[in-house]
Amino acid sequence: MSDLLPYLIGGLANGALYGLLALGFVLVYRATSVVNFAIGEFLLLGAYLTYTFALFLPLPLAMLAALPVAFLFGLLVERGFVRPLLGRNVVAVIMATIGLAAALDGGVQLAWGPDLKYLSGELPQLGFQLGEVFVPSRALWNLLLALPLGLFLLWLLRRSRYGILVRAISEKEVAALALGIPTARILAGVWGVSALLATLAGALLAVASGVGPNLVFLGLKVFPVAILGGLDSVGGALLAGFILGILEALSQRHLEPVLPGFTEALPFVVVLLVLLVRPYGLLGERQIERV
Amino acid sequence: MVLSVENLKVVYRGVILALDGVSLEVREGEAVALLGPNGAGKSSLVRAVAGLLPKFEGRVLDGHVRLFGQEATHLDPVRITGLGLTAVLEGRPLFRYLTPVENLVAAGHRLPPRELREGMEEVFARFPRLYERRHEQAGYLSGGEQQMLLLGMALLTRPKVLVVDEPSLGLAPKLVEEVMRTLEALRREKNLSLLLVEQNARAALAIVDRVYVMERGRVVFEGDAKTAQEDQDVMEFYLGKEEVGFRQAKRYRRRKRWV
Repeated sequence: MSDLLPYLIGGLANGALYGLLALGFVLVYRATSVVNFAIGEFLLLGAYLTYTFALFLPLPLAMLAALPVAFLFGLLVERGFVRPLLGRNVVAVIMATIGLAAALDGGVQLAWGPDLKYLSGELPQLGFQLGEVFVPSRALWNLLLALPLGLFLLWLLRRSRYGILVRAISEKEVAALALGIPTARILAGVWGVSALLATLAGALLAVASGVGPNLVFLGLKVFPVAILGGLDSVGGALLAGFILGILEALSQRHLEPVLPGFTEALPFVVVLLVLLVRPYGLLGERQIERV
Repeated sequence: MVLSVENLKVVYRGVILALDGVSLEVREGEAVALLGPNGAGKSSLVRAVAGLLPKFEGRVLDGHVRLFGQEATHLDPVRITGLGLTAVLEGRPLFRYLTPVENLVAAGHRLPPRELREGMEEVFARFPRLYERRHEQAGYLSGGEQQMLLLGMALLTRPKVLVVDEPSLGLAPKLVEEVMRTLEALRREKNLSLLLVEQNARAALAIVDRVYVMERGRVVFEGDAKTAQEDQDVMEFYLGKEEVGFRQAKRYRRRKRWV
């Protein structure tokens, strides 16, 4: 048992990151029906921003400083790439985000170079010994930041006036406009928050494993996580993040000796299996039909 | 003049002419009906005054919309509702995945919290059925309840002019009557000006002062509700008077048109 626990803790720590990133992805999808293929690049940019700020600020402050910049970046992307294409073919928006992803990939390498960098400074040590198991500081930071933030956003979306407006707009934009709801401003805000979440995930990832162009691959994990949770379910994204994090950790321990490399494929296999039973994902909403 | 539309021309996708020079007026405290068959352009007029045409790939080609004397032709919907015009679009445009409470919160987004709470209490006091189902998803409400919720939402935007598009659509006759009575009561209580767009002429005529009749993008009749009810042509063509047999009416109609 005690040798399982470190795996579980590691899984939870990764799951927190997946959840955070998927949260940002789902938020945008839910509010604007845009599949943001550049979410991995948002994370990448966030990691580099944190790295840059960390050059002349203590790390916690650098992480904080990156957030408003990321928010602004999200607003810009919405203004520049998404809003002009709203109402057009869905594929047009998808292509725009893919193009944005490619441009950001290249841009980031141009600006910061292709080599792996390590953040200067560290987050305060929180790790402690629990019986025979050591709980690493990294896992604690991931959980401490991701979980409350995720739950707060969930609460915001469910209960607050702003959240109600976001849900209203996402359901029927014309109706929202007719009520005088400033939809453009609110949707831009959603993109900002999405970029902010990705940046936080990127920063946490950077703390653990340094900053390099390969961070972008975490963006790929967003798809199984978001689909597993139900593409339109914010709570589902958070939950699915943890589930996949833990499953990966378990597979790492139990399946890897038998099926080397299987862990990479695991999220997608899980998604396939779950979708067979629940086509709308774990917490996705069923459509209301009145006949 | 609360709302005045002058010679308005509207096209969709640059080619489909939906309004071809429509003019109409709503005076302060007045209730006006806009009648006409399917495809006459009634809903286009609603979209135009609400500033929602761009969302339907439509555009004002010519003419003006004025709100309280102010030019409002190309204003965005947020500004227009700010000026005091709220449009309830056709097809029960409420948020079906939200509860009635949340629908009302969304509608009253401009109000400070206290006023919003009081406004909601007022709506629930008026429509007790809504209160009973206030935490269910609005998509599961009955058609009549949804219409009541929509009226409640419109109230929470604190309008001075209310434009309602086809509130009777798909409702049983008894409910239609109830909706009309409610509209009438609201108008008197809140001192609203009302533009009621309807196909159900009989129901609409019962509560309005003046009538416009549209056909194929133009206003073909204009007058007060009494005159309209007495006018033979209007009655036969648009208001569904049953004295003329179906076959007869059809032949007659082919011969005589305004446009």
